[in-house]
Amino acid sequence: MLRNVISMGRVPIARVRSSAEGSPIVSIVLVGAALLIGAALFAPISGWCAEAGGAEAEGGSWLSLLPYIINFGLFVWILMRFAAPMARKFFGDRAGSIRETFARAETALKEAQDLANRTAERMSRLETEKQQLRADLDAETAYIANRIRELARETADRIVRDTKLTGEAISEAAQRQVRAQLAEATGRLARDLVARNFNDDDQTRLLRGFEERLAQEARR
Amino acid sequence: MKSSRVAKRYARALLGLSDDRALLETWGAELECLARIADAPEVAHGLASPEVSHEARISAMAKIAERLELSYPLRSLAVVVARHGRIADLAAVSQSYQDQLDLLLGRARATLTFAREPGVQDTEAVVRGLEAMIRKTVIATVKVDQSLLGGVVAELEGKIYDGSLATRLGEAARRLAG
Repeated sequence: MLRNVISMGRVPIARVRSSAEGSPIVSIVLVGAALLIGAALFAPISGWCAEAGGAEAEGGSWLSLLPYIINFGLFVWILMRFAAPMARKFFGDRAGSIRETFARAETALKEAQDLANRTAERMSRLETEKQQLRADLDAETAYIANRIRELARETADRIVRDTKLTGEAISEAAQRQVRAQLAEATGRLARDLVARNFNDDDQTRLLRGFEERLAQEARR
Repeated sequence: MKSSRVAKRYARALLGLSDDRALLETWGAELECLARIADAPEVAHGLASPEVSHEARISAMAKIAERLELSYPLRSLAVVVARHGRIADLAAVSQSYQDQLDLLLGRARATLTFAREPGVQDTEAVVRGLEAMIRKTVIATVKVDQSLLGGVVAELEGKIYDGSLATRLGEAARRLAG
């Protein structure tokens, strides 16, 4: 993010530079400067040439340089009259665009710094949240683990209890079954013995007992 | 339930025709005989057949009553029962008549089941015991069931008085089984 903002701040500067290099005003200013430098270089040479020629011809004068000086003055005047405002305007615009670009770059830098600060703050907040989340998760995990442990204990207790009850029931059923089989066998044996040895006296004794019971009922 | 109520009404109507106890006893015996004949499978099947007309059914019952030489009220009862389509309820009417007559005469019927063929004295002793207990005359029906092993079982007025050896052995076995 920060890198993007910085790169965005650079783009206008390059754009201004490239547009200034290709404009006609710059060409004019460059041509004028070249002519001015050329004139400054070649004027003494013309004087030296005149002096050299004068020395040999004895008829040379510095006045012969006057038209060149006038031309040069005209040239300078034309240059100051037409080219200077444009150059001033160009350099003014250029300075303005540079200031503007600089201000944008400063703004972008400030935003980037703000963004970096916010990011750092968020990172620190994230760290706090992470610690809070971790603490919550630890607490939740501990609660669930305790719950699972309690459930497991209850289930184990229930299984033990059920197993104990089932064992007792099975044992009791087995005892009952054994007792029932024993009673059945005893009853069968007793019936066989009675059927074999029962006689009329026994029948009479039973009938007397029955009559006695009826008499008791009657007395109630 | 409905059949029982109807039988009670017929029995009560017949009982209301006389106050003579001997006559009522005779009618009871005749009614039992008529009910037994009407309840016999071949007679009951024939009388219940849809091929037999209502009039033929009435006529058949009148002839049966005549052949049995029943008294006049019983002949009338046979015809009335046939006319009302209650021939199948004759056995219930007879039973209800006996019950109401027993109630009227202050007596009860008992079924005595012995393990061995009883002597007259044994039967009379048991009957006397039952009569003393319920303070009514007891008319006993004697049966023999060897599976009782010994003793006697008396059934009287819907109650069972069990003095059999088989029951005692059974109780002992149950106590042993816990």
